[in-house]
Amino acid sequence: MIKFLQKNLRLFFLYSRFTLKTTLQARVGIVFFLAGKLFRFLFLLVFILLLFGKTKIISGYSLNQAVIFYLTFNVVDSLTQILFREVYRFRPLVVSGSFDMVLLKPMHPFTKILFGGIDYMDILFVIPYLFLVVLFFFKTIAFPYSIFNILSSLLIYILFLFNSLILASAFHIVVLALGIITTEVDHTIMIYRDLSGLGRFPMEIYKEPIRSLFTFIIPVGVMMSFPSKALFGLLSGQFMWYTFGISLSSFVFSLVFWNYALKRYQSWGG
Amino acid sequence: MKTYILIGITTLKEYMAYRLNFFLWRLRMFLGMLVTFFLWFSVFEKQSHFGIYSKNILLSYILYSNLISTLTLSSRVAEIAGQLNDGSIINLLLKPVSLFSYYFSRDMADKLINVGFAIFEVSIVVFSFKAPLIPPQNVFLFLPFLFCGIFISFHINLILSFIGFWTTEVWAPRFLFFTLVFFLSGSYFPLDILPKSIYTILMFTPFPSIFFIPTKILIGQINTISLWQICTTVFWAIFLSRCSVVMWKQGNKSFSFWGR
Repeated sequence: MIKFLQKNLRLFFLYSRFTLKTTLQARVGIVFFLAGKLFRFLFLLVFILLLFGKTKIISGYSLNQAVIFYLTFNVVDSLTQILFREVYRFRPLVVSGSFDMVLLKPMHPFTKILFGGIDYMDILFVIPYLFLVVLFFFKTIAFPYSIFNILSSLLIYILFLFNSLILASAFHIVVLALGIITTEVDHTIMIYRDLSGLGRFPMEIYKEPIRSLFTFIIPVGVMMSFPSKALFGLLSGQFMWYTFGISLSSFVFSLVFWNYALKRYQSWGG
Repeated sequence: MKTYILIGITTLKEYMAYRLNFFLWRLRMFLGMLVTFFLWFSVFEKQSHFGIYSKNILLSYILYSNLISTLTLSSRVAEIAGQLNDGSIINLLLKPVSLFSYYFSRDMADKLINVGFAIFEVSIVVFSFKAPLIPPQNVFLFLPFLFCGIFISFHINLILSFIGFWTTEVWAPRFLFFTLVFFLSGSYFPLDILPKSIYTILMFTPFPSIFFIPTKILIGQINTISLWQICTTVFWAIFLSRCSVVMWKQGNKSFSFWGR
């Protein structure tokens, strides 16, 4: 098992080096994409500041808390982009039959089709986002607040971020499986992006039954909002267990669905 | 004319052939609308006004701007860039049709089917969440501005696609541009809630003409639209159409592509 993991990790680094070389081929594109991502982030941040300039509390949250929700969305979204970018390139493999070449290789297919194309541009953004989360967290807390409390809140936040990544990987595996069954990847992955985009703001802004739908059925809220809520200490123990339970079960479901889809894969041959 | 109507009908048939694709696209648009709508809805839970806007006016702005952006922004022109890069544009150049008219026909069909679904989606929001929607006003004044918005958006899309004549890196400038359009055209909020100086500068750009100004007219706030803003809209429509024609002519002179 350890040897298997080591081998796949080596391949992951190899694919990452290849991706870096491919990315560097389009240097002008990098500048435009980075500028686009930066503008998008800043514009929405300005929008939140503008909104809270005239409304002190929205759905029970203050400006600093709303900014943390928004930053957390960006952290999870960027980490997901960094790790799972190759999913966006899966469709051509299926429709051309080149996916055969992946399956024939002595490695787990996820090494190539899930993790095989790191998005380097997002790496540049994650660290500033995390720095800003800590900065705004310090603005939300009412001192005196013990160091132990601060550290435990931040640790719980990191734990929930990992949990969000497990959910995100489950979503991406489901998209891959749907890609095999329907050959439709482009829109399903973008629907995932749009669904996760609902988590830019606290889930409390949405009316029922939308809120419950995106918390309990399609756990976008769990993925994007719960880390911030955990940081503010707003999640009860019951909800914490629910969070980890839903992530684990989603991940298991995605693997079962993947195996089901894989059995239905029909190569085009040629 | 008959040719271009047929092109439009063929585009509609394409959509009917790829129904799942279109359904998923509309679902994406619907989700995008929900975020903005509910955010503003929650703002008005504890207050009746936001700046100069009452709840009814602002939520109507969000819903109408969604409809109008569907009309102005939905386009098939982006595919030209890919065709320029892989050389398949030659198939179109060999046909006895104007590229501009060909894509304008396709765009009109695209807008027709998209706006039909967008009206349905807005109706779902209005009836399900009892959203206040004021009846459309100044329709006859709105229509020329809507057409200007469509015209501006069409030519901006053409210009972005014609970059493909000189480089293969066509998607990144489009991504950057539409990020700007999304925020500076007023899809998240009406632009006049911005500080006055920023608002004034923005009004000199083509972005507000794409759907901020038509939406403001439709919700009855024409007193905020001055004569120079009308002139700015007309200027951008003419200037961008000239730019796209010049780029097309220059691009054709330097165009080379892979053999097919």
